[in-house]
Amino acid sequence: MSSRAALILKLAAVPMLFFTAFFLAPLGVVMTSSLMDASSGALSGVNYAKVLLDQYHWDVILTTFRIALFATMFCLLVAYPLAWYLVRIVRSDLWRRVCIILVIVPLFTSNIVRSFGWMIMLGRNGVVNDFLKSIGLVDRPVRFLGTEMGILIGLIYILLPFAVLSIGTALSRIDRSLERASKDLGATPAQTFFHITLPLSLPGLASGAIMVFALAASAYVTPALLSGGRVTVLPMLIYQQYSTVFNFNYGGALSIVLLVLTLALVGVANYIGRVKGER
Amino acid sequence: MIARFVVRMIALMALAFLALPLAVIIASSMTTTEYLSFPPQGLTLKWYGAVLADNAYMMSFATSTLLAVCATALGVLIAIPSALLLARHDFPGKTLLAAVLAAPLVLPYLVLGSALLQFTGYLGFAQTFWALLVGHVLIVTPFILKSLSVVLTRDHLDFERASADLGASPWITFRKITLPLIKPGLISGAIFGFITSWINVELSMFNTTAALNTIPVQLFNYVQYSVDPSIAAVSAITIFISIVVITLVDFLVGLDVFSNKQQRN
Repeated sequence: MSSRAALILKLAAVPMLFFTAFFLAPLGVVMTSSLMDASSGALSGVNYAKVLLDQYHWDVILTTFRIALFATMFCLLVAYPLAWYLVRIVRSDLWRRVCIILVIVPLFTSNIVRSFGWMIMLGRNGVVNDFLKSIGLVDRPVRFLGTEMGILIGLIYILLPFAVLSIGTALSRIDRSLERASKDLGATPAQTFFHITLPLSLPGLASGAIMVFALAASAYVTPALLSGGRVTVLPMLIYQQYSTVFNFNYGGALSIVLLVLTLALVGVANYIGRVKGER
Repeated sequence: MIARFVVRMIALMALAFLALPLAVIIASSMTTTEYLSFPPQGLTLKWYGAVLADNAYMMSFATSTLLAVCATALGVLIAIPSALLLARHDFPGKTLLAAVLAAPLVLPYLVLGSALLQFTGYLGFAQTFWALLVGHVLIVTPFILKSLSVVLTRDHLDFERASADLGASPWITFRKITLPLIKPGLISGAIFGFITSWINVELSMFNTTAALNTIPVQLFNYVQYSVDPSIAAVSAITIFISIVVITLVDFLVGLDVFSNKQQRN
């Protein structure tokens, strides 16, 4: 064996062993048990049939992905102006640093803590309802906890920093001379934005969207806390199977369905982003 | 001009939106009432005292910290050879290895956690510290790897060759040349990895028990049944820790992530 091959093997040994033993093997176990009948242990598609041929499951899947889609849209709509502000408008280095810390602190805080904050704020007598009442928008408290709206607010809050960082990085890498050229050639600021800046920031927008969507679809803690048991999303069904029902076969099938649907939608988004980005 | 004003307004509102829940938690942790109340009634630190005197919370803090430290240390040991390998060598299966090592970043923690519960159950160490540790190493490693691959550049290779040409052993070269060069990436990667482990709920919740609990999972369990100001105090403590860590990162490696503009203009 050449010394180069020996070196490669030496470097690869520990990472490969660890990831095979504790990452690929467990996922393989989930995959195989999802294809096994819980009672007989025989190979069968019964778990998938239970998930995919049932209206209730489709309702849950639809709710999950609807919430994830809305969360992604709102995150991008809020994140773009915020990223723009941080990259293009803020002049003071100190203030930008403070802002970036404000964006990152939530990322460094557990999603349980962040969802808990919204539990306090979204209650019947919470600050959000107090505020809505004081400006006269509503006269009776709005119910947020236990609705898709509440989950959505929590998820947007939790995922916003990812979108801001991803879009901000893309914006800060744009070559400004392209915009100046566009302006010199007589384009209005709006034209420059829509024909130059927005397309150039599209990769950051796409990667932010993909990350937010995947995280929103697989979120458990936020929906569990803010749904009050009234709204069910796919990750909640999975947790139930593993923690209280102990049906690993059916739970495995749910896991794989979540995984495949998320990856498929991410793949589609990736493809669209690439096709658009190339033009 | 109007567009600029609108962007500024949205941005400031978004910043307030980001700060608000954390501020609310910190404020309500100081209420003198026996129930959670915002705005707080009076001002007291007694709930922090209650948390520090509570054995269950303290055990969980210790478990979380030990877990994050061990996971980060093992993650570093796995990520360094992986990063060197992926940055410097071409070999069959390289793309596959890179994909597998990065996969825990995109795989839902929930799926990974449930898989590990079932798998460690077969091996007979489910719901032990070791089961938690393996999972946390998996999610910490990709962060360290990612931040190492940013700092590992071609010039490093020249320095290493020079060192080898001058007769240094591979180990000496690694310690005296490579390690100092990758240190910034290693530090920021390790800090991000540590935090990822420290705040995780969705992976840990499968392998924790009443006796072996991490702080976020314990908070999660409590919040679902009863809400009292001590929960806000624990939450506030984790927020303070996160602020300290971020300030530390800012101080050590600089957090001005959008600062390319100075070079550009």
